[in-house]
Amino acid sequence: MLIELKDVNKTYNNGQPLHVLKGINLGIDSGEFVSIMGASGSGKSTLLNILGILDNYDTGEYHIDGRLIKNLSEKQAAAYRNKMIGFIFQSFNLIGFKTAVENVELPLFYQGVNRRKRHELAMQYLDRLGLAGWAGHYPNEMSGGQKQRVAIARALITNPKIILADEPTGALDSKTSEEVMQLLGELNRQDKVTIIVVTHESGVANCTDKIVHIKDGVIGRIEDNREHHSSMFGTQTIMK
Amino acid sequence: MRDLFVEIAESVRRNKLRTALTGFAVSWGIFMLIVLLGAGNGLMNSFVQGGGGFATNSVSVGGGWTSKPYDGLKQGRRIRLDDGDVATTGGELFVDNVELVSATVGTNATVCYGKKSISGYIDGIYPAAQMMEKREMLAGRFINDKDIADSRKVVVIPESTAQGLLESGESAIGLLGKYVKVGDLAFRVVGIAKSDRMRNSRDLYAPFTTVKTVYGKGQEVGSITFTTKGLDTEKDNEEFEKNYKSVINLRHRAAPDDERAIWVWNRAHQDVQMKQGRNILSTALWIIGLFTLLGGIVGVSNIMLITVKERTHEFGVRKAIGASPWSITKLIISESVAITAFFGYIGMFLGMLTCEVLDKTLGQAKMSIMDEEIAMLVNPGVGLDVALEATLVLIVAGTLAGFFPARKAAGVRPIEALRAE
Repeated sequence: MLIELKDVNKTYNNGQPLHVLKGINLGIDSGEFVSIMGASGSGKSTLLNILGILDNYDTGEYHIDGRLIKNLSEKQAAAYRNKMIGFIFQSFNLIGFKTAVENVELPLFYQGVNRRKRHELAMQYLDRLGLAGWAGHYPNEMSGGQKQRVAIARALITNPKIILADEPTGALDSKTSEEVMQLLGELNRQDKVTIIVVTHESGVANCTDKIVHIKDGVIGRIEDNREHHSSMFGTQTIMK
Repeated sequence: MRDLFVEIAESVRRNKLRTALTGFAVSWGIFMLIVLLGAGNGLMNSFVQGGGGFATNSVSVGGGWTSKPYDGLKQGRRIRLDDGDVATTGGELFVDNVELVSATVGTNATVCYGKKSISGYIDGIYPAAQMMEKREMLAGRFINDKDIADSRKVVVIPESTAQGLLESGESAIGLLGKYVKVGDLAFRVVGIAKSDRMRNSRDLYAPFTTVKTVYGKGQEVGSITFTTKGLDTEKDNEEFEKNYKSVINLRHRAAPDDERAIWVWNRAHQDVQMKQGRNILSTALWIIGLFTLLGGIVGVSNIMLITVKERTHEFGVRKAIGASPWSITKLIISESVAITAFFGYIGMFLGMLTCEVLDKTLGQAKMSIMDEEIAMLVNPGVGLDVALEATLVLIVAGTLAGFFPARKAAGVRPIEALRAE
């Protein structure tokens, strides 16, 4: 198991205590393409934050590749995030005053890779995502789809164990959404990258091989979706 | 390192006006600090130049009147220094603290050269007087040991006195090697000394032994001047003086604790006071300068806080993709130090330029005090030491200004920051 969650609990103590995750047990193997689906308030974002070592959990255990992730110092957490996890966000979260290639380089900068080498590598990844011609452009000169592809390049560049995508299509139109999901699917099949997508859209979830339903802080059904027949893009769900 | 500079440059470029306005306050602070210290130095230099005709470790001694009865003699008795006092001063007793000894004996005399004559004062001195009185020579030499030994009739004339003996327009150096008449005797001019307005320019210098023999002064000595060594503190100086007075007093059958039997003028006291004054002045100027700078520092701290606030989301993203808290702290503090140092150096440069301008303008202006001309500012400006200290101040100040904003930035939690948009 690449990812193992054992009875993970999380309570927010802002005034009224809010028990968000109520004993999550989940295992994800290397090379899986999984979506975590749930309505807003179901705890899926909290789960994603814990998976991404952006937040702590109260009780239980979380292992990545056999390594226990608990009570890490900020520095350690940053180092783990840098080496093991690639993030793809709904709003891209590219740094506005840096060019596409500089954005892609950034994780390597924090690994202390030298300038020339990280530029070379960043160009390779941009090229792979068909954005070599856009390397010198700033995020505000690119379309949403292009920005998300830059973000994907940035997530891939450290060769992480897991890619965590938080509503990766949330800010994209349906056509581009489909393209992005296809791209993630290809990466998963060709490069055996483990990808976890958090979404509330069934169309997005349908592109993945396994759908984990989460509701009210507990994991419900885990659906095998290798046939991709759960629900198609644009059906049974209101798309933009 | 280069990456850090690139990041700082990017950040500053986005907020040019804001950075420039705040930077101005820093420049102003350092500018004031440098100009104040520079002008203060000029003022102190002018005092030193005004007051300093003598080596700072020199002591002058002269005869006085006794102020109390002692050994059967009544008070109010005149004490005259003599050769024995010179020998005692330079003898075994004070060997630890006395370096060079010079004595003077003098008399008024009319000095003639050709048709011109002036009334002057002929000072019989020892070679050591040159160093003690910081006499600089324009031409020729000062009185030397051979002159003393042979009681030669030679004389050193200050430039202004020499000028008085010559027709206007002639150079004072022309008098070198000529004979002048002092009273009834011809003295050969062996040196022309530089004149300065702080000293009696009527003084002519001749060998101590010559003056004594020629003018029949017997054992009498006008004053004794000697340089001291190993007296580092005010307390050492006082103890030495007390000891010295008691020894000389006893030689003249005056009470050892009589303060007025001989007068002792120790320039070390003056020197200590001068140094204290200088320290107080420069401390005061530093404080004023630093407080002026403080305004600039608060400004830098303020824009750094705004920057951090604006960039919260960005820092969240950076942390999510692996930036350690320290890398964020470093970024903010470096930016703060870079802004402070950059504008600080502009201020420092302008301050030094202003000191140069002061030197060319006020530095050339003279004040007239008691018929003596004193420059208001002598060599205003600051040394390399102040420039280095100011650099250190800038770096410390920049770090302080960046510290709290940086801590705030490093404490940004990525989830909060990512939510911020």
